[in-house]
Amino acid sequence: MQEKQLSEQESLLIIQQMIGRARNEFVDTGIGPILWGAVITFCSLFQFAQIHFHLHPPFDIWFLALLAIIPQIFISVKEKRARRVKGWDDDILGYVWLCFGVGVVLVNVINNVASHDINPIIRQYREMTGAEVGNFWTFGTAYLMFVYGFPTIITGASRKFHLMTVGGIVCWVSALIAAFTPTKFDFLLMAVSAALAWLIPGIILRKKYLAQKKQGNV
Amino acid sequence: MFKELDPILHSQLRLAVMSLLIGVKEAEFTYIKEQTGATAGNLSVQMTKLKEAGYIDVIKQFKENYPQTICKITPVGIAAFEAYVKALQSYLPK
Repeated sequence: MQEKQLSEQESLLIIQQMIGRARNEFVDTGIGPILWGAVITFCSLFQFAQIHFHLHPPFDIWFLALLAIIPQIFISVKEKRARRVKGWDDDILGYVWLCFGVGVVLVNVINNVASHDINPIIRQYREMTGAEVGNFWTFGTAYLMFVYGFPTIITGASRKFHLMTVGGIVCWVSALIAAFTPTKFDFLLMAVSAALAWLIPGIILRKKYLAQKKQGNV
Repeated sequence: MFKELDPILHSQLRLAVMSLLIGVKEAEFTYIKEQTGATAGNLSVQMTKLKEAGYIDVIKQFKENYPQTICKITPVGIAAFEAYVKALQSYLPK
């Protein structure tokens, strides 16, 4: 590009082209959403199978979600190093997802403390009355899916990625349904939510990113 | 009534730089060079003009032992770009 005087039409064309190119730079690599979508979907389906088939594996499948933090750290550092442009909302979205991570840990800790205290009482009540009452975890998964929805909707809306926004809304709808369904089915709802909120959008983002990379735009 | 176009912005490369920077918080010099297709020397000269006009900030720093130049648009630059686009609209057929 050379230094020269412009016509008004040429000016408009340059503005359009350059704004479009800057926008292309914000194509997510999709690895993060694929990782978390796959892990949460798998763990939820495993938990569903565990309850349905009365399986007692010698491990807690949700430790996989804890392990996934390690590759996530590497992915985040690598992507940050490779990024040559910072968007207006990058910092805000970073904080939103950080708060989400802390929020998930807090909800899990609170859920575990609550279930530890409340479940024995519910069990006693069930034995005494014979009433069919679910344990605390019938509602615990609903809280988690409610938290899943927040950052997903914010990211989808701010990046104008409608599929992700819809995925976040599915998390909230699933949270509401989970309040009325047995625990076993809550984990199926969680699998659907994670797949729609992160896994499928992640795959689409990845395809878009690879296509852009092929064209040399990112 | 035609409005006067800002001479600082009404040039191909400077307008391209400002149009790139308006959509982002900050960008590396190498990225701007790549996207505009300009030579490093020419880009450097035009960016100095934008900097002198107060339209952009240029920050020189080190990233992993390599020099890195970060560019970002200033509030003055944003106002000038908006005024330029508004003025440009007066030239277009309605």
